[in-house]
Amino acid sequence: MEILLQQLFNSLTIGSVYSLVALGLTLVYGILHIPNFAHGALYMMGGYITLTMMTAFGFNYWVAMFVSILVVGLIGVLLERFVFRLLREAPPLHDKIAAIGILLFLEAFAQFVWGADFQTMTSPYGQVVTIMGLTFTMQRLLIIVSAIVVMILLYLFLKKTFTGASIIAMSQSREGASLVGININKVAMLTFMISGGLAAIAASLASPINLVFPGMGHLVILKAFVIIILGGMGSIPGAIVGGYILGFSESLGATYISNDYKDIIAFVLLVIILTVKPTGLFAKGER
Amino acid sequence: MKKLFLVFMLLVVTALVGCNKSENTSSSGSEKDKGNHVVNIGYSGPLSGAAALYGKRTLNGVEMAINEINDGGGFEVNGKKYTLNLVALDDKYLPNETGANAKRLIQEHKTPIIFSPHSGGIMALQVFNEQDNFIIGAYTSEPAVTDSGNALTVRFPPNYEGYIEPFITYEMERFGKKIAALPTASQYGKDWTEALLPAWEKKGGEVVYNSSIDFAKETDFFTIVTNALKEKPDVLFIGGASEPTAKVAKQARELGFKGGFIIMDQAKLDQMMPITGSYEALEGSIGVLPLIDSDQEAIPAFAEKYKKLYKEDASSEVGLNYLGMYAFVESMKAAKSVDDVKAIREHMEDGVKNLGNEQKIYAINSIDEDGGFDITIVTGAVEDGKVVPIH
Repeated sequence: MEILLQQLFNSLTIGSVYSLVALGLTLVYGILHIPNFAHGALYMMGGYITLTMMTAFGFNYWVAMFVSILVVGLIGVLLERFVFRLLREAPPLHDKIAAIGILLFLEAFAQFVWGADFQTMTSPYGQVVTIMGLTFTMQRLLIIVSAIVVMILLYLFLKKTFTGASIIAMSQSREGASLVGININKVAMLTFMISGGLAAIAASLASPINLVFPGMGHLVILKAFVIIILGGMGSIPGAIVGGYILGFSESLGATYISNDYKDIIAFVLLVIILTVKPTGLFAKGER
Repeated sequence: MKKLFLVFMLLVVTALVGCNKSENTSSSGSEKDKGNHVVNIGYSGPLSGAAALYGKRTLNGVEMAINEINDGGGFEVNGKKYTLNLVALDDKYLPNETGANAKRLIQEHKTPIIFSPHSGGIMALQVFNEQDNFIIGAYTSEPAVTDSGNALTVRFPPNYEGYIEPFITYEMERFGKKIAALPTASQYGKDWTEALLPAWEKKGGEVVYNSSIDFAKETDFFTIVTNALKEKPDVLFIGGASEPTAKVAKQARELGFKGGFIIMDQAKLDQMMPITGSYEALEGSIGVLPLIDSDQEAIPAFAEKYKKLYKEDASSEVGLNYLGMYAFVESMKAAKSVDDVKAIREHMEDGVKNLGNEQKIYAINSIDEDGGFDITIVTGAVEDGKVVPIH
């Protein structure tokens, strides 16, 4: 029983990180209509910027994370303005090539600036809390709580504000949104900004339990792809639910079936869900 | 008209390229450079990606030795002065890239020696190094590399099988008989595990958990460590790159593990310490003795030199490749040739014997028949928050 509870807690931690990354990916999918391969690199940049703010400028963890959200958000905006907007009329393949190019560029850039070594982000929340035989660390509780807060805020923003509604409108139909007077350039940039910000939050939260290094984006990006396919491309609840499903299937699969097969379990789940619902759990009708 | 011009330009370009090629091929194995003869030394290892740091460190060792030799005016073979030139290529840790790099190195630069720091790449090179005439400077503790009987392979680190006995004895005596294995998911990690676990059982121990961790895929190790600890092991077997391995150790401590760690030789205690914060979390670990904690006489001077040049502590990746490069130069002197690779390999024994005292950062006795350096294995254990050599 203890093991089950411990593993449920572990899967919540990892699921939260997955969900945050997948959310950013799914939002941009609404604009680009291709998965943004560079999203993992934005995640990595987020980790490095938070770390640099903490070590080089001595910022508090939260301040550093805030700066990181702004910087990575800005990188997102620049990518939209100077890469993807120019490719708007081009065939979708060009977007994909550009995204891969950005991924390679950012990784090489990080290695050039920060070096190839593994770096540690020391969060002020390293304490270990043991309650009834279960081990929590403050950082892990923080990941879970922050992820939920961010998700609620994002939901309120998208559903209750006019700007949020215009993002949804645009992901449903770019022409339609444009016809009703939405400035699609502005919305596209805003979406990239939010997506980058989410990546920065996820990286800043997850880095203290792992390491910061140029290849860290690969740890999450493949899983984020699986999640958005599973949840339905472009769907926000899909990304959230998908993230937790993957987190749970990995942890519980590793515990009760086999650690060596836990990735297979996740993919079998994907196959089953897609067989029953080929568009993913929460896909919108038209796509 | 425009088309004609284009065709003409194309012809000119082709002609130029052709010239360039023929110029290149006219140079022999040792190029002449301002009256000095140059021997190119090849390197193919991970210089980007997850293992880039590891690759960089191995390269630093070779580079440092080469710079020292060149700064001292080079070396003399058969009355001719030679200097060394390092040509390093990135293979991203992929054996196929190592193979392609090596082809390029021998065709374009005629390198008699190619260094490579990973067993996969080395095995790829062994497919054709005897035909293409180059020596592999192998930085890996994988015994298969020398067991295959390749006549032109020189392996620097001690075969990891030498660690197994002292590791098991120490941990069993100090902590107990139950072990859980959480090795890295690479081929090397699997081979290590297959060598360790049967030996553990043979000594009356019990293996309670065995599953590998893929450091290129896992964001968090809590899940797998929880599962391993559920079996109440006395000892954890961990390994892989130093930094993620240290994270595994740290998370095991967070989850309440009180036993010891057997650390695969790829991870180094001194590189793990900054991640865990102190040696306290690693109390009871046994692994390779960190280079800077070694009591070899040449160490303090070498460590200081390296720190000045590269702004980090020297590790065995640096030390063994440095030593290897010097041994090759000594062998060239003994073989009286810089490009007859068979002669160089045959004179390796003399090369090792002729090493200067300041290069002897390892207690190296000789070279085995199969090409492995015969180095006395000294392991290091963490006792009361300090690394102590276990002889």
